[in-house]
Amino acid sequence: MPSEINDAALDYLLARAGLSLTEAQKAELKAVYAGIAAMAERVRQPRGRMAEPAHAYGFAEEDLL
Amino acid sequence: MSDAIPTIAEAARLIAAKELSPVELTRACLARVHALDGELHAFLHLTEERALAEARAAERAIMAGGPSGPLHGIPIGLKDIVDTKGIPTTCGSKFLQDNIPDTDAACAGRLAAAGTVLMGKLTTHEFADGGPSFDLPAPPARNPWNTVHFTAGSSSGTGAGVAAGLILGGIGTDTGGSIRGPAALCGIAGIKPTYGLVSRAGVAPAAYSLDHIGPMAWTAEDCALMLQALAGHDPHDPASAARPIPNYAAQLGSGIRGLKIGVIHHFHEVDHKVSDGTQRGIDAALATFRGLGAELREVQLSPLQDWAACGSLISITERSAAYEEWSRTGLGDFSERMRSRLMLGAFVSGVDYVQAVRRRRELRAELQQAMAALDVVLTAAQPSEAAKIDAVPKWDVFDKPGFTMPFNVAGYPAISICAGFGAGGLPVAIQLVGKPFQEPTLFRVADAFEKATPFRSQRPTLVSARVAA
Repeated sequence: MPSEINDAALDYLLARAGLSLTEAQKAELKAVYAGIAAMAERVRQPRGRMAEPAHAYGFAEEDLL
Repeated sequence: MSDAIPTIAEAARLIAAKELSPVELTRACLARVHALDGELHAFLHLTEERALAEARAAERAIMAGGPSGPLHGIPIGLKDIVDTKGIPTTCGSKFLQDNIPDTDAACAGRLAAAGTVLMGKLTTHEFADGGPSFDLPAPPARNPWNTVHFTAGSSSGTGAGVAAGLILGGIGTDTGGSIRGPAALCGIAGIKPTYGLVSRAGVAPAAYSLDHIGPMAWTAEDCALMLQALAGHDPHDPASAARPIPNYAAQLGSGIRGLKIGVIHHFHEVDHKVSDGTQRGIDAALATFRGLGAELREVQLSPLQDWAACGSLISITERSAAYEEWSRTGLGDFSERMRSRLMLGAFVSGVDYVQAVRRRRELRAELQQAMAALDVVLTAAQPSEAAKIDAVPKWDVFDKPGFTMPFNVAGYPAISICAGFGAGGLPVAIQLVGKPFQEPTLFRVADAFEKATPFRSQRPTLVSARVAA
């Protein structure tokens, strides 16, 4: 994930999210993009494809009633 | 009654002995509300008539047959993201100014069934996120220790209200620290219980898999008494745990000799260095625990930044999903701070979210392993004393990771308790973390600390000054 975002990419992401922002809001959002990019890098570990997410679940007895 | 503000436990003993009337107690709290809340803004909606009616009903019942439990006749408040039948529940937002639920949230119902007296709905950051905001229908709550300063949030009204004695206890919610933050900065106790222990049904979501409901009160003992009423399985909350509920006060007073306390020094000394006042509070607390006979051990976990990244990406995404419809149709009606948080959702892809949830499993396993031979672990609750309310940075999540989020990520129970006073006489705190569903041990350690230190004997000076005036 690059640490900067250009205007076209920002507009695409906002359109996909359905958000209508002012130019000032867009500028503020662009300024903090690097923070999100850094977080997205941090959660990526050399874990391999078999590592499960925390939200995987099993059925308890009461689910089967 | 005297001007002293009783704890819930003290009030319960006096009420049971018929030495304190719930009506008298409620009137004293209302008097403090009228004297102080114009400055504190802890309440969004005061239910004065209802409170007095409930107090009179409690008094009649107690005179006839004794109290039903330690919360009978105790004045409390609910954060305003908790649904209350027939009472406005605004979530602090323009979107819900006219919202009057037709049912109680599960936690509200449980406290009512325990005989509490509902004083009203308490100030919150908008939908439990983003504040302090000055562009909402109501102003943000102020810190009773110095009203120029922030309470932390998002359970800001509960923190201010309990510290000032407007209520004896209250409900907070905690997605990344929203119980423990205000508890720390307002100098009270607040526990985020184990995920699933207290039903979330009827409480507005912030981030579904990180949201916790819990009590805030002057002492850990009071939190234990409240949690006793709050805990229990609820089929209306898909995350609710079906487990036996222990006596949360059972271990209080049994001492902590031989208990093993792990200290995550690197969280607050390296990853995010705390203020001098907070560090002094932590150091003194460790000395106190050692003096009480606990064994202290070093704990090493992944950097705080890893926990913050994991929790933040999950939080941003789940919040954006919860409020997507309003974000698309009325983004401008959110407060500026909440709007900014929602905008971030555009930056987090589905793959980012799943990678964060995979990281969550690893981090939780890491904490589980680290705590295997320990009873509790300790770190900071907040980086410093409360900042001035007009100087709270909006984007510090990126470079100043919070100390509370790791335990939302893990779902482990964690309590913030007062550990003294730092710069400007403002409270500092420590955070204690227990193993899942081991809240009794957490209360035991927190209570031992509170009873070994003098910090529970000091209330904000504003309270005595204004009430006496």
